[in-house]
Amino acid sequence: MASVFPSEDWFNEVRSVFNSDDSYRGAGGGSCECRSAMKIGRRVFLLNFEGIECAPVVEADKGALADVDFYLDMPLADWQAMVKDIAANGGASLHYTLNTLDLDRAEGLSHSVHEDQFREDLFFRYNQTFQFFFDASARIKTSFG
Amino acid sequence: MVKGPYIGYILGDLNYRREPGMSEAVDLATVEIELKLDWMNRQGEWQTHAKPGKSGLTLADIQIGSYGETPEISDNMTGRPRGAQARPGSFRIGNYSVRTKNEIWLENASFLYEEALQRQWSSATDVPWHTIEPLPDDIEEAQCELATFLTEVEFVAGDVPARWISETTPDYFEPRNVLLAQVMDEARHMDVFRKRALANGGGLMQATGGTAGVVGSIDLARDFTEMSSRLHISGEGAVLTIFRMGELMAYNDAEKAIYRLCAQDEARHVAFGVMHMRYMSEEAPDRHEEIECYLDEAERQILAGSQNPAGNQTASSEALAILLGGGVAHYDEGFRKLMAIRRRQLVEYMKRVKSAGFGKRFENGRSQVKEMMAVSAA
Repeated sequence: MASVFPSEDWFNEVRSVFNSDDSYRGAGGGSCECRSAMKIGRRVFLLNFEGIECAPVVEADKGALADVDFYLDMPLADWQAMVKDIAANGGASLHYTLNTLDLDRAEGLSHSVHEDQFREDLFFRYNQTFQFFFDASARIKTSFG
Repeated sequence: MVKGPYIGYILGDLNYRREPGMSEAVDLATVEIELKLDWMNRQGEWQTHAKPGKSGLTLADIQIGSYGETPEISDNMTGRPRGAQARPGSFRIGNYSVRTKNEIWLENASFLYEEALQRQWSSATDVPWHTIEPLPDDIEEAQCELATFLTEVEFVAGDVPARWISETTPDYFEPRNVLLAQVMDEARHMDVFRKRALANGGGLMQATGGTAGVVGSIDLARDFTEMSSRLHISGEGAVLTIFRMGELMAYNDAEKAIYRLCAQDEARHVAFGVMHMRYMSEEAPDRHEEIECYLDEAERQILAGSQNPAGNQTASSEALAILLGGGVAHYDEGFRKLMAIRRRQLVEYMKRVKSAGFGKRFENGRSQVKEMMAVSAA
């Protein structure tokens, strides 16, 4: 049965794949201490990494964005396009990696409420971990409601 | 005094017995000596039981009791590990010039070191080299130009911290270890861009000279904080932007991986600089004006752009614009993208300096970065 994107179920199914695959701990992945959020249209999902694992993902309200190191913000259609690209290619293709989406969009992808660049830089420092996480979504069945 | 078997030819104070007719080898194996065992005296803090956390047994987990205490001023000139007892009469083996804590300290050094260890990657096996395919000549030449420049830059970025490691007392091993890890990172960056230049029918281009000016001058710093402000804050901050651009304009998954993984490492080096400067902001008010001067100098170089490949009118900036645009024919489009990313680079620089505790310079007129951005946007 396919999980609906975006939903807590979808993120936690991806999380299970991510946490159970040791290959995501090497090749530039590994220990990651970071509190982030994915803002998908108006919805917000908290994605926290502790050590080598992703903690259970929960949906939150917009106010939670103040507490995270950074959040990734795109309209729903753009998120869906990214997830579809990952599913079709087994991982993000050249135009859909997180860093490319960040630099290729006038408004950027990564933001913060606090504007502290040291914390915002965690998006760059742990970029491979976040890329691994979303690339892991290629291994689950996704529907788009 | 305890007696036990030992190898006879090492020591002179032996009480051994020789059986008639036995060979020397047998003799050595059965020799008895009196062991002093005075090294077994527990001279330091004992009964420590470090416990691993979620990330394993990290340096942070072993900062226990006196082992976690860092002296404000170190008189350790003998390479003695912090927490070990001094050996009377030992020779000086290091002429450490960095022996004051606030010259090099930062609060999260042990964390950054563990992060560096746990997030290593291999340029040989973690880059999908098989995805590289022949590119148009102008694109390949631009990639090779950039690879040549980055190989040069990373050469300096490895050399400079290496020199400061040997200048630093072992009592401050946490920042030393981060710098040691940085040297490894920079070695990998040097080799991965060399590999990229040689992997697709191209080769290294003419040396850009990028290391002859500002980048090379980082090595002239006479003070660690001066070096760190040049290397970690302005230099590596700029290179981080180039790596991120490299990922954006990559033409295959191999280049994507190269630039993405290098950017991760570079962001860690930048974090070292920001946290060191933040420590100086909080703990060394007498050095604030000096640090402001370092930032004045760094900003003059950033704004001049002559040594910054994301700046204007350099071979490397032309290569970047060609890659961003998709070829020489689309140079103008690439240049517009380059300028947009450069503005973002300057915003990130200002926010890092602010995070480090020196943000007033952008409000009191000391820094010209905002004015430069306004001119650039016009």
